[in-house]
Amino acid sequence: MPRVKRGVTSHHRHKKVLGLTKGHQGTKHRLIRRATESMLHSLNYAYFHRRERKGDMRRLWILRVNAACRARGITYSQFMDGLKKSGIEINRKMLADMAVREPESFSNLVTVAGGKTQD
Amino acid sequence: MKTYSARPADIERAWHLIDAADQTLGRLSTRIARLLMGKHKPMFTPSQDTGDFVVVINAEKVRVTGNKGRQKLYYRHSGYPGGFKSVTLEKMMQDFPTRAIEHSVRGMLPHTRLGARMKKRLRVYAGAAHPHESQFQTEKKEAK
Repeated sequence: MPRVKRGVTSHHRHKKVLGLTKGHQGTKHRLIRRATESMLHSLNYAYFHRRERKGDMRRLWILRVNAACRARGITYSQFMDGLKKSGIEINRKMLADMAVREPESFSNLVTVAGGKTQD
Repeated sequence: MKTYSARPADIERAWHLIDAADQTLGRLSTRIARLLMGKHKPMFTPSQDTGDFVVVINAEKVRVTGNKGRQKLYYRHSGYPGGFKSVTLEKMMQDFPTRAIEHSVRGMLPHTRLGARMKKRLRVYAGAAHPHESQFQTEKKEAK
């Protein structure tokens, strides 16, 4: 049985941790104790924020669709209600994308959704 | 596919001329803030500054409801002991007629570096005159 010294493994472990905390503030990317805690927190935040991102994006799409709707004289809620009643099932991501990239098709959708409020 | 994200080169900045005469301070400010942030554009991106320029004229004629002229106080601290000063809205409107609008709009913008840049695109003038006439020569229709 060869003799195993602990320095090698801990050095590898420390290298791994410090690699993950690159860019952290102050001693958090230098000192192993500070870095370990910082790493645990950052991975934890990253996990939760990946899940939060779904909601963040949906909020952004709604905001954009609303901006596009209001420029055409209708509010977001009226627009979505109109779409639902006319049986159009385009999701918010696509609607937001149309508002930016294809303003004409979006205008058509607004006309379909609430023709009378369109000027 | 990926959600659209505005690039700095794609952003077009329009100029808006707003007459503050007989408008309510806060309700006016929300409109201004929205234009400065670019929330009226479908390309709005939170990490980018997508806002427009806003020129406000007749800032001295802006209204408030109720007794806020006499009762609303603006606070500041000079940093010295006993240096906590307050001034009523009425007094501030007399001395610095543009400051009330600037203050209230600033409070509605993000308190970040991005917000500081948005704030720079707000130009408030006490009277009806403003030095940005040339911006409205060609795009009169867009201004409201």
